Formats: sequence, C-alpha cells, structure tokens
Amino acid sequence: MDVQRYISSGIIESYVVGLVSEQEAREVESAIAEYPEIREAVEACRQDMERYVELYAVSPPKDIRSRILDAIENESSPEGEELLPEELREPGEAAADRPARPAFKLTPLRVWQIVALLAVAGMLISILFNNRYAGQLEAQQVEYASLQANQAALKEEYQAAMAKLDDVTGELNVLKDPDIKWTRLYGTGKHAGQLATVGWNPESKEVYLRALSLPEPGPGQQYQLWALYRGKPVDAGVFEMGKQQHALQKMKPVTAVQVFIITLEKKGGSATPALDQLFVAGRP
Amino acid sequence: MRPSLTYTEAELVQGLKARDEKIFSYVYDHYSPALYGVALKVVNDENAAVDLLQDIFLKIWRGIDRYDEEKGRLFTWMLNIARNTAIDTLRSRAHKLGLKMQEIGNGHYRQEQLTVQQSVDHLGLGKVLDQLNKEQRVIIDLAYYRGCTQEEIAKLLDIPLGTVKTRMRNAIIQLRNILKQV
Repeated sequence: MDVQRYISSGIIESYVVGLVSEQEAREVESAIAEYPEIREAVEACRQDMERYVELYAVSPPKDIRSRILDAIENESSPEGEELLPEELREPGEAAADRPARPAFKLTPLRVWQIVALLAVAGMLISILFNNRYAGQLEAQQVEYASLQANQAALKEEYQAAMAKLDDVTGELNVLKDPDIKWTRLYGTGKHAGQLATVGWNPESKEVYLRALSLPEPGPGQQYQLWALYRGKPVDAGVFEMGKQQHALQKMKPVTAVQVFIITLEKKGGSATPALDQLFVAGRP
Repeated sequence: MRPSLTYTEAELVQGLKARDEKIFSYVYDHYSPALYGVALKVVNDENAAVDLLQDIFLKIWRGIDRYDEEKGRLFTWMLNIARNTAIDTLRSRAHKLGLKMQEIGNGHYRQEQLTVQQSVDHLGLGKVLDQLNKEQRVIIDLAYYRGCTQEEIAKLLDIPLGTVKTRMRNAIIQLRNILKQV
C-alpha cells in the first residue's frame, strides 16, 4: 500500500470526524494496526480534533455533579438502577466504544414502521400529484378546445378572405382589361338618377354588369339585361341584387349591340323585354 | 485547556476498572467540561445536554471494561461516547419530529451559542474560528457535531461527493495550523 497516498487521501481525517462508513472504519483500523505512519497520522489528527473540541468546553451546571456521583454510588441498588438510562440497565448491552457512528438498529418492528411511513408518504405524494396533474389536464383540455375553436374560426376567416380576394382579383382583372368597353346606363323620367354599368368585350363577346343604384325589385321580380341591335332585343341574362348589387356579375355573351337596356321582369327573366318596365339604358 | 493530570492515563483506567469512585469524581472534574461542550454543541439545548452528560458518564463508568488502550487514548474514547450518545439523541429527536438531520442542524450555525462563546472566549476561540474559513469550519462541524454522512455534506455544501474527504483533510490541516498559533 502507498502509505503517503493513503494518508493524503483524506480518509484519516474523515475517519476521525466520524464521516466514514462502518466498513471504511474497519479498513482504517486494520491499516492503523499494520502501518505505524498511519497510526501516527490518525493520532495527530485526533489530537487536532480534540483541541478543537476543547475550545467548546463548558463547565456543566454544579448540581449535575452530585446527581451523577449519586447514580454511580447507588448503581447496584434498585434506586440506582432507576437512575440509569434505559439502555444501560441491562448489562452488556451498552456498546459504548463503537468507533464513530452507531448505525440505527433495524428491528423488524422498526422496519415495518418505516415501510408503513414510506407507504403513507408515497400515497400522499401520489394523491397530491394526481390532483395537480388532473387539474393541469383539465386546464389543458379547456385550453386545447379553445385553441381548436380559435383555429377553426381563423380558418373560416382565412377562407372567406381568400374567396373575397379571388373575387376582387377577378373583378380587378376585368376592370383592368383594355379590351372591355364600359358603358353607363342611365335612368330617365321617373327612373332619373338610377345607374348601372355594363362592360362588353367585342372580341370575346363577354359581358359584365354592376347594378349600382337600381332599386331593390319586389318579390317574384328580377332585372334583365338586353342588347338591342337593329331594333331587336337579345337577352343578356338576369342578375342578382341585394349583396351582389355592387359586385361585378358576368352576363350572357353578346355578339353585337347598339343599346343596352335593363327592364324589370318576372323572376328568371322573359323572352321579350317589357319596355314599359325599362329602368336604365345606355349606348356603348 | 487540557487539564493537568495528577494521575497518568493508565492509573485512571485502572481506577475506573476497579470501580474507584474517587477516580471517577476526578475524571468527572477534569473531563466534564469537554464532554458537556460536545453534548451542548450537538443538541443545542442545556436541559438535554445535562441529561446527556449523565448518560455519558454512566456509559463511561459501566463501559470502562470495553475500553481498549491499543485503539486510542482514554480521552478519545470518552469523546466518542459523548459524541455518539449526543448524536443518537439528536437523531431520535429528528426522527420524532420527522426531520432530516440537516434540518435540525440548520439553525445551529446561524444562531451562535452565546454561552459557549462567552465561556471559552478567553481561550481565543473567537480568534481561531475567525481564522478558520467558514466553509472549513462548517464541514468539520457537520461531520463531527451533526453526524452528517458524506452524501449529506455534499448536498448541503453543494460540492461533488468525491471531494468531501479531501476537503475534510484540508479543513483539518488548516485547523492544525491555526491551533499551533493559539
């Protein structure tokens, strides 16, 4: 054994202050028996600790001295036995010279007491955590549901916005299309002030309409657009009012036109325009 | 201050083994302050320390036949009895209160023991303790007076378990150097 290394490892100091396990203590004791240097080092360390301990020396209260001396004097009498601490009453039981730390005595009763205590503690901890986790789970479920609802609402909004964007983009493309000629249809007489616009592409024949300021038709009635060419009206389709009033609505294609007119017809449109129900007209 | 003995240690051991009450009262007079100091520092309670002192001396009186001079000096043996008895009491008290050893000890270092402090101040204890770095004093006291294990000390001082022994050695080497000056 490398004695110097053993001494400088700190095992000796730890042994002296009672820090080592019982097994380590036995190892140190056999090393003490075998190596004089180790015995010397242990003894030096003990003396250091003892001087340190003596720094804390305090004279005990005076009356305790006679109490203890009485106990010694009468130790073999029944009264003396009474004075003794319980563990000293049975001869041979006191293990006074254990080296450093006495281990707990594990009687079967104590083992069961410890087991019971641990079980109760474990149960309490488990209950505590269960409650806490149950609470957390519930809160998380609520939060999850609200996030889900939120997400659905956002998705709806997004889809609506995208649809709107498609519409607007489509309308914008139509409005920007240089091939489409735009005509304003004005009302006259009792329809003065009413206005609609019609866009017509002579190449593709496509027709678009914005109803603008036409009055809301009665139930069972619908506006119809007509293209007049050489005195003959050609049906260009009915259109929606209400929400669609300001939107750009695609109408039936028109091959040739001199005047666009809008009449109020029965719902679904008519084969020929009711000219007494002419609201607005315009010449492209 | 080490009591100046008029008996040799061998004579004391022999006297105790022979149930000589005069020798016993001599041992009491010379060693009770150190043993009472240990008990007081461990349990931090004067009434409990007085009861402990009685237990300690009865164990010395009754256990003297188990004392083995090959294993160490009489004083070392008596201090071990004092320390073990006091720490057993501290443990069972901690056990009753459902506390860990460290918890019982915690208040100990903050609230200085005035009685201890005062009665030993003439020995220069204050000076010694000032010089002994607080961390080093604490590691010695946790082990010796609290009976803490290495694991408990590592946890309490927040140091790696593997360094506890070397720190203990360093603390005691420093203590040795300081004690030389007193």
